[in-house]
Amino acid sequence: MQISFLIHNAYGIGGTIRTTFNLAHALSARHDVEIVSVLRHRDTPVLDLGPGVRLRHLVDLREDSPAYDGDDPAFARAAKVFPAAEGRSGQYSELTDRRIARHLRRVEADLVVGTRPGLNVHIARQTRRGVVRVGQEHLTLDSHSRALRLALRGVYPRLDALTTVTEADATAYRRLRLPGVRVEAVPNSVPAPGLAPADATGKWVVAAGRLARVKRYDVLIRAFAQVAAARPDWRLRIYGGGSEKAALRALIDELGLYNHVFLMGPANPLETEWAKGSIAAVSSSLESFGMTIVEAMRCGLPVVATDCPHGPGEIIDDGVDGRLVPVGDPGALAGALLSLIDDDAERRRMGRAALTAAARFDPARIAARYETLFGQLLDEKRSNRLRGALHRTRGALLSGAYTTKDAASAALRGVRTV
Amino acid sequence: MNTSTRPPAAGSGPPPPTTGTDGAPPGLTADTIADSAGGLTFDLAAPPGVRTTWSAALVLRLRGADAEEVRLPLGPNGAGGLRAVLPSTVALAEGRWQVYADLGDGHAPHRLLPGLNDLRSLVDRRPLAGIGRLGVRIPYTTKLGNLALRSWLRGPHAEAGDILVEPAGMTVEGRLYGALPGEGAHVEARARRTAGGGATVTVPLTADGARFSFTLPYAGPVGHWRGGGEPWDLWLVPAEGAPPVRIGRLLDDVADKKQIFAYPAMPVPAAGAEVRVGPYYTLDNDLALRVAGPETTD
Repeated sequence: MQISFLIHNAYGIGGTIRTTFNLAHALSARHDVEIVSVLRHRDTPVLDLGPGVRLRHLVDLREDSPAYDGDDPAFARAAKVFPAAEGRSGQYSELTDRRIARHLRRVEADLVVGTRPGLNVHIARQTRRGVVRVGQEHLTLDSHSRALRLALRGVYPRLDALTTVTEADATAYRRLRLPGVRVEAVPNSVPAPGLAPADATGKWVVAAGRLARVKRYDVLIRAFAQVAAARPDWRLRIYGGGSEKAALRALIDELGLYNHVFLMGPANPLETEWAKGSIAAVSSSLESFGMTIVEAMRCGLPVVATDCPHGPGEIIDDGVDGRLVPVGDPGALAGALLSLIDDDAERRRMGRAALTAAARFDPARIAARYETLFGQLLDEKRSNRLRGALHRTRGALLSGAYTTKDAASAALRGVRTV
Repeated sequence: MNTSTRPPAAGSGPPPPTTGTDGAPPGLTADTIADSAGGLTFDLAAPPGVRTTWSAALVLRLRGADAEEVRLPLGPNGAGGLRAVLPSTVALAEGRWQVYADLGDGHAPHRLLPGLNDLRSLVDRRPLAGIGRLGVRIPYTTKLGNLALRSWLRGPHAEAGDILVEPAGMTVEGRLYGALPGEGAHVEARARRTAGGGATVTVPLTADGARFSFTLPYAGPVGHWRGGGEPWDLWLVPAEGAPPVRIGRLLDDVADKKQIFAYPAMPVPAAGAEVRVGPYYTLDNDLALRVAGPETTD
């Protein structure tokens, strides 16, 4: 198969870029894979793509480049295709509209895969006939504004398939009713770490993520006050940087935990840090997937996580390879941590179970699921062109109907839908 | 997950980059594994096409010192890569060491890029208390993204552990390596700046074998405060007349302690003002106390 990914900016840093690179690399073992980056602001990607996957860009934002596009007047004018309600819309323009449209009109591929809602909209509306259109949702439907949800509902029926990273989000998208669109959950992949798994002997609990409100590290620190009171020989490391750092620092000092809780700053790579711990902790109020949970499990750590929407409950088998606790409850979190701290055999057993269970997120296995999905979509398109044409017509009609209805309701509230 | 800029790992992920920033041959990456005795093993993922000779070496160069260089033999590691070992018995001067690979091919040595630093055996490291001279080497990534080592070489060494911060002073627990606290053991806080008049504040040391603790009331250093911010360095004198030992925190995997091991600063009344006083680790991971006036911002 020829597979073409469309990504916001392959030259930056982030979960979507990493997981797209992992997937593209794994698929490239047997398929012809390219990544098309809408924007390019540096010469080489920060994350390693490896050989075998072609990478090209549509809009060049390198100021020292002879092909610099930033001074094109169209770059200063607001986008019309990329939805205004999408989080990245500020970086899109008439120029990106034009370049993406041209790319999708000419794309030499069996499938195009969009990696964020705004790009999925482009793919749904502008991809040439005969090419399978796949949209990926790396966040969740309910994390989008109402305006964006309306925009997506109007256009997504023109996709062939939409993938989410959790079953919970797939269910939400199915409720949105996208006729003729196959909605399937395929989790993110995490490669096997390049070092031996943790041996469960260190008296360290490890957490990692942006120091942002949604991660609720305040709850974790309060929980750890109870842990340290019962087991002062255990300590907590929190890796990551972010806007909550000063507040968390103050909380650590207020609770007198400066000998027990450490804000480690950003770490790269992370697997060497997981390997120093014996238990991983996740205190988030929301995890669209839960990449850190899988990363920790792949390093052999049992994870104590909040049972928040959407990912943790689909990754952790409570009591088998980790523990799930209610959101925002320091006592429950402390209790689950202490149950593993106080039982060395149970901790080791769960760590081993986590290592085994997390192998299902290996890039080769995730790529195989995509391969199956892509193959079926392609077969459908090829074997029944008539039905495909009918589907497209029906999809276009339905999406037209939605668009009209949604535009009407949006107009009443003064929201631009597309 | 946006914690890090982590590239996909080796193994089933994409392979390391095959192009370097400073010309051919491409960037060489080294994984390091630390052992609890202080030794380090370097495993280089040599890209295909890179040939080595018998004279290949891992080269360590002390930053800021022109001639200080340590060469370690670099040979096959049996897994298709190259390996060099820095045993704990090879003394490295204190400082920051840049890491190069000299492939023995007539080209200048190549600066190495960091791969995976497996430092788990350094976490909670507890060497034998009787060790004569303690070597500590912690691999880290420089601001420019290169592999480097921080090195300490101390004998005796006073390792700081938990610190209890209270309104009127702090109590430090620790462990002494290479000496046992004896008669007249004490701790000296020395004003770093001459503006402090070279003042020294002395407090007694409580010892139990190699373990020690001391309490430093803030009133002493604060009594010498004349405005601005004044750092005080902490020295442990193992016995009356013995050479003083700098108190530091070296025995783990954290190359730079200052931002991570942070402690509250307490308000203390001083001459005509209120100062803030609290312990911190210096850029060299030594323990110090800062007396900061109301106008100082750090």
